[in-house]
Amino acid sequence: IQLTAACRPPLLKMPPKQDRDSGSQVVQDFKEWLEKNDKGQAIAVGAINALTKLIKTSDASTIMELEIVLKNAQEQLQRVSFDGQRSKMIQLTAACELFARHVTRTNMDIGDFNVCKSRIIERGEGFAQQADYARDVIAKHALPFFRDGMSILIHGYSNVVLNVLSTAARAGIRFKAICTEGRPDCDGRKTAEALQAAGVPTELLLDPAVAYIMREVDLVLTGAQGVCESGGIINKIGTYQVSVLAKEAQKPLYVAAESYKFCRLYPLSPTDLPDAEKEPAPVVTDGIKVRLPPSDFTPPHHISLLLTDLGILTPSAVSDELIKLYY
Amino acid sequence: AQGAVRGGGGGGGGGSAPAAPKSGGAGAVAAAVAAAVNKPSGDAKELAKEGIKSGSAGIRLHYDDPKAMAKAKKHQVVQRTEGQRKVAWFSHLPQYEREASLSSQLAQRADNDIHPEVLKLGLKFADWLIVGGNRRTVAMLEAFAQVVRDYMPAKDHDTGADLTRHLDARFKPMISYLVACRPLSVGMGNAIRWLKAKIAHIPPTQNIQEAKDGLCAHMEGYIYEHIDLADRIISGHGASKLRDDDVVLVYARSSAVESVLLRAQADGTRFRVIVVDSRPKLEGKQLLKRLHAVGVDCTYIMINALSYVMKEVTKVFLGASGMLSNGHVISRVGTATVAMMAHTSKVPVLVCCETYKFSEKVLLDSICTNELGDPDELQSRELSEWRDVADMKLLNLVYDLTPIDFVTLVITELGNLPPTSVPVVIREYRKEVTL
Repeated sequence: IQLTAACRPPLLKMPPKQDRDSGSQVVQDFKEWLEKNDKGQAIAVGAINALTKLIKTSDASTIMELEIVLKNAQEQLQRVSFDGQRSKMIQLTAACELFARHVTRTNMDIGDFNVCKSRIIERGEGFAQQADYARDVIAKHALPFFRDGMSILIHGYSNVVLNVLSTAARAGIRFKAICTEGRPDCDGRKTAEALQAAGVPTELLLDPAVAYIMREVDLVLTGAQGVCESGGIINKIGTYQVSVLAKEAQKPLYVAAESYKFCRLYPLSPTDLPDAEKEPAPVVTDGIKVRLPPSDFTPPHHISLLLTDLGILTPSAVSDELIKLYY
Repeated sequence: AQGAVRGGGGGGGGGSAPAAPKSGGAGAVAAAVAAAVNKPSGDAKELAKEGIKSGSAGIRLHYDDPKAMAKAKKHQVVQRTEGQRKVAWFSHLPQYEREASLSSQLAQRADNDIHPEVLKLGLKFADWLIVGGNRRTVAMLEAFAQVVRDYMPAKDHDTGADLTRHLDARFKPMISYLVACRPLSVGMGNAIRWLKAKIAHIPPTQNIQEAKDGLCAHMEGYIYEHIDLADRIISGHGASKLRDDDVVLVYARSSAVESVLLRAQADGTRFRVIVVDSRPKLEGKQLLKRLHAVGVDCTYIMINALSYVMKEVTKVFLGASGMLSNGHVISRVGTATVAMMAHTSKVPVLVCCETYKFSEKVLLDSICTNELGDPDELQSRELSEWRDVADMKLLNLVYDLTPIDFVTLVITELGNLPPTSVPVVIREYRKEVTL
């Protein structure tokens, strides 16, 4: 029995939405960035670039005005439909709110408007660099968790996770990777190919077989679309399932995520997601309704540790960091 | 002082002078008690004496320690009759018989140093006429504000520094009196500590009238910020957690939970409520009345029917009298049962609690510190002659402890937080106490 080389194409395509604000400068900047993004940089970087440019060119004269401008821009950006990146909506929201928060904080520290504005622009422009740097910091912090002879289960396709594993491989640690297939979009295959290219012996696994191989695995590694206040994560569908199985088999689950993915959401159940991530209406194919939920919520007690650029955190430390930031 | 208190709380389980969460003692007293736990017993007595003298140590005592009690009696403002039939496990807690008249003792005191507002308040507390953490704290602060306003400085003693010195001495017997009427809640204790810190920081050279007005304004600000405004914000956050077709379970009567449900109703969310109630207080009836008055679809059950309805419930909202640093919740007795049932049925438990009720202390059970109510409340037709039965004791606990594992989310005015973030909030937002 061979794994079908060609996965079924995603049954659900996002209908093209009327971009009411397509004329808006910030939306245009963001879309341009999306097209040009060949380094695989995070959506957050694109959003913050667009917002920084907006502030630079804005003729607002008070912080209040700037905050209102930013709020409008955030709403416009959230309405942008970008194919294939629908799962990044939370990151976008989190990044916009983070930027708005930095604006308020900078205002609290500095009285003068012009100094404030230039400081904000400086920060925004430095963010892209910081974001790249964040991934390397995470990879460095994560190194001690890998040892020779380990088998690692990976779910989903995340640039952070790939960075972590390729850094570990380059450091000479000999480990094996098992990637879940990740239907319906089969991004597990993308992960497997990237890991294979990095020199890690990789295997692609049937999604339902995760429970089957869990005993053979040493740890489970995944990325996150958003890290919630409770310490839980919103990630590609199947993450919650994998976490439950990992807990049952007493294998640690590590989540690699940058700190700009921290958002002030608090889902109470795997289905309690923000609107962008909620399950869409079922699609009828060949006479049968097909349900394709895109994401789920993994509660904090199933997560062992979060590997972030702020350090290695337990789930309860996420709220600590958010309180410090939003103080 | 902060560090000392934390240490005292941690070692309080088996120590000779346990630090109590509900007392409003000053930082110095807490440090004395904490030090007592760590020092050899000889010094402990000295320090315990110091603690007793401060006047607010009513709860810090082991009520079954005869020597400490004898010493305490000399300083107490009001002597209450000890309860006759105390359950052995709770003998370290005060239990009193109902007094014919609490205030008659005060009339006989040489120096009548209890302000009439505080006197009235104590009587209302003792008879459970003012109930609920927020209501009690607000009433207490308003009475204390009146004390400040009515304070008359002696001649040549009219600077801020004098106010600092004298107000502290004025409040001591009043706080001791309130404690004797009914032990303070966690929130009340925190409010008193805040007030003492504020009094200590009155600018020494300020004119006394300005100082008094400033202090009263601060107290009004505290009530507005930490209670009124906080409740409004909590109701907003809580209402946003409710979805259409939710079945919400609530227990007894909490002002924060009530404001959440009223707000959700006003927002037009379609939900129904199951009110769980228990003897002897039957406080749920009042919540039921208020919800029904605004048209919320309500069901009313006694706590023994809990397991029967739990499978229909989608969310549980609970109030809190206080939250501890290990994430445990102190609330009306019965709350822990509700939370445990919800946890077993995988229903999320949302605790609504203002941040002024957060305490640095840590407790592991409902026995170390609690409040014992009037055992006669538990009487029924069959138990009316319970005092005649040898060895029969009635236990009327007021609070219990809900472990952190049963709490999913804490709704505060700072937002939705995990219960593990209580010490973080105290660390970030309580700086004014140590200032």
